[in-house]
Amino acid sequence: MNHLGFKISKMKIGSFDFTCCEGCQLQLANKESTLPDFLGLLDIRNFREISSERHDDYDVALVEGSITRSDEIERLKAIRAQASVLVAFGSCACFGGVNSLKNKIPAEEAVKGVYGDKKIDTMPSTKISDIVTVDFMIPGCPVSKDEVERVVIGIVTRSLDTLPKYPVCVDCKQRLNTCLFDLGEVCLGPVTKAGCDAVCPSGKTPCLGCRGPADDINFPSFLQLVKDKGLSQDDMREKLTFYNGFADYLDHES
Amino acid sequence: MHDMRFTLPGQDLNREPFALKSPDFKKKCEVMITDRGYKCRITNTVPISSQEKLFLLRIVDPVERQLFNFRPGQFLMLEVPGYGEIPLSISSDNSNHEFVEICIRKAGHVTSAMFEARQGAIVSIRGPFGTSFPMEAMEGCNVLLVAGGLGIAPVRAPLFWISNHRDKFKNVYLLYGAKEPSHLLFSYQFEEWQKVSDIRLMTIVEKPDESWKGRTGLITALFNEFSFDSKKTFAIVCGPPVMFKFVCNYLDGKGIPMNRMFVSLERRMHCGMGKCCRCMVGSTFTCLDGPVFDYWSVMNLKEAI
Amino acid sequence: MIYKVISKTEFRKFIDAIVKHNNAYGPQQVDTGSGGKPIYQFMPVKSSDEIDFDYSVTHSSAKHFFLPFRDELSRFNFEDGNWEQEVRYEAPPRILIGLRPCDISAINMLDEVMLNGPYPSPYYLARRKNTFIIGMDHLPLPDCFCKSMNRHTVNHGFNLFCSDIGDKYYLSINSSKAYSFLKEFIIEEPSYEDNCLLIERRKTIKQSFETNIEVTGLPVFLDIEFDSPIWQKWGDKCLSCGSCAMVCPTCYCYSVEERFDVDLKGSSRQNHLYSCNLVDFAQVAGGHNFRPRKGDRLKYRYYHHYRGFAANDNQQICVGCNRCGRACLADINPKDVINDLRLERESCMICVLPSPDKT
Repeated sequence: MNHLGFKISKMKIGSFDFTCCEGCQLQLANKESTLPDFLGLLDIRNFREISSERHDDYDVALVEGSITRSDEIERLKAIRAQASVLVAFGSCACFGGVNSLKNKIPAEEAVKGVYGDKKIDTMPSTKISDIVTVDFMIPGCPVSKDEVERVVIGIVTRSLDTLPKYPVCVDCKQRLNTCLFDLGEVCLGPVTKAGCDAVCPSGKTPCLGCRGPADDINFPSFLQLVKDKGLSQDDMREKLTFYNGFADYLDHES
Repeated sequence: MHDMRFTLPGQDLNREPFALKSPDFKKKCEVMITDRGYKCRITNTVPISSQEKLFLLRIVDPVERQLFNFRPGQFLMLEVPGYGEIPLSISSDNSNHEFVEICIRKAGHVTSAMFEARQGAIVSIRGPFGTSFPMEAMEGCNVLLVAGGLGIAPVRAPLFWISNHRDKFKNVYLLYGAKEPSHLLFSYQFEEWQKVSDIRLMTIVEKPDESWKGRTGLITALFNEFSFDSKKTFAIVCGPPVMFKFVCNYLDGKGIPMNRMFVSLERRMHCGMGKCCRCMVGSTFTCLDGPVFDYWSVMNLKEAI
Repeated sequence: MIYKVISKTEFRKFIDAIVKHNNAYGPQQVDTGSGGKPIYQFMPVKSSDEIDFDYSVTHSSAKHFFLPFRDELSRFNFEDGNWEQEVRYEAPPRILIGLRPCDISAINMLDEVMLNGPYPSPYYLARRKNTFIIGMDHLPLPDCFCKSMNRHTVNHGFNLFCSDIGDKYYLSINSSKAYSFLKEFIIEEPSYEDNCLLIERRKTIKQSFETNIEVTGLPVFLDIEFDSPIWQKWGDKCLSCGSCAMVCPTCYCYSVEERFDVDLKGSSRQNHLYSCNLVDFAQVAGGHNFRPRKGDRLKYRYYHHYRGFAANDNQQICVGCNRCGRACLADINPKDVINDLRLERESCMICVLPSPDKT
């Protein structure tokens, strides 16, 4: 691509994980058909899952995971200081993710339940934007490789666009899926940001909102809808809190 | 026994003659490859302010170059392959077939790519599309050209037309307002317009700096400085909606009939051909029935201002 | 148009013969809703057994066969500092079986917009020309209101239309292609009795509508009620999820996107079916949104459907299938919105007060 005459250089990338399952980073190695071309866009400087070589001269940092320990804060700030573009990578980094479920029970109880009497340094799970400035978010549990490709190409070619602003329903209807509400399930599709190609509803699994809220959602109407359909409020609440993406809306409501 | 392997014969539109010709966007109601544009080269760029640049584009194919005829007020779709397509008003002289001039403000990633593109880079244009200013109807009358900010870009095309046929028009005024003195574009042409084209130019800024010696205030303040025969005057108004609302209401009060005031609306067209509905205003499409509307139509369009 | 009758068993043979060697789509039950109601969609079929001929209505319309949800308009291939644009309109022949009169009317309406406008769309034309349409009538569902829109019958825009007259289908053959296929099967001239049965069938359909919407004069109503508070009221319910537009047979708004290939050796220009209800529909460069409120966006959809736009001769483009109403989770449907709008105007105080005395 040099038809416009400006040089396209590889993206110097570092990929880092905090409290997470590292599944999102694994997605970077997914989608074999375009993998060689995708890696061709990257100059991997720091990525412990695939290389033991570590360099600290990356420009773009992909940060996976939420923050649950004080030492993680320092490490994250150091990454922020180096990276010119910091991307929150996956639902844990974007919203706190599944890890935030522990915020709902007392910390001692959580530690005891998991580690017994072992001493563990832990704090409530927080999203990384609470600590550092985030330039771009790629939500998802895990992230969608298609979207990662688009974002990486966008950064490399300087044509970075926004994520879709509309909800999952658009993609879901385009795949001719039967609406899960018609099958008597609570699905977060109407309030969740699209871009995942509605994978879960296409497999008849209700959307759990891993991509967080779409822009300008109608939260009161969604609550009303679940009520009107006579569906379980607990089920809805559980789904809304699952990835912590709707925390702002739930706080506002209560 | 009959052979019952009915297979539907397919029709291959790709092989139909229209698919081989270069598109002629003026010829409407004929199937053509509307998604193909004219390849053109960025021959020159002129920085005209900190945010805006003027691009000179030259259509590569000589036949297509002659096909591209536009009228003042029309717009084109500029395609930067890989980056996307944006609607832009044409701000050049329509008698000049060699170059198409467009004025771009850096806003999204398509415009950013244009700003970074080297001279000689090849992009593509589709069009021209939309309605134009009825220049012939204005002959024998006074013309008021009112531009606010980047609104000077679409105003430049009728300005060129008037300059080329200066004897056919009576008094011509160009009222040009901007936020700051540095936002007054094409200042290098001011003298030419005044002296060569005999256009009475008045500029005004909202926020003057130390070096500014001209008028300060809103564009409507300029109307106090001259008088015109409202029965024999046409107005062309381009700028932000708030501006043309005030200007047109003022001119309406002065007695210029609403159907003699023309405004250019801006919406985000995606297709330019009345299909995508992105540019709808009220019940019309800006790309087909606009961008140039007379003020009477705009008044009747819901949501236009 | 040629009229013939065919027995239902023979009709199945005919369908079997044509679907076997072609890409064919017909109504199929894909799910059972929580109320026990079957849910149908147009799905690929390979034999008549896979088709539910007596289906009620498909959840999504047949629009996407002509206007795909995502469609590549062209490709750019970059080479040596230059590029070449490649435009193709690929449309392999296809058969659509079991479209309802309202569905066919909707396609006729799309023809109007896509082919009779100033810039006919070759993409649409290719698909339209290469699609063989077999229509079938049906008894309206309780919420169908196509009769109000005068779209409960259709007399063009299909290759073959079948009216159910008991053991037989009464065929309206509207293309030589359809006739040359049908000639190979046992088809008969309609008898006096068949004609009576057809008239009877049409009458039954006409009288079975339970939902009626008064649409006369609606364009003026909509203009007058442009700033009505009812838009805000319905907007407060609207989820802005775009479901209505996706299932609608006539919603055609789209957005154009361009994407680089991963190897950066080319890019693809695609159009993507959009909805005027989506938050950024009217957003322009620089971020200004002309319609930031849900109610305004919802209003636009109604405006487009019931007032009509200049691009389609100000025709109402709604066909009355109520798919949007069924798909809407927030329970917004044309009947209620339009009735609300009328009520708002007709109960207006000034209108019901006697005119003041002349002084």
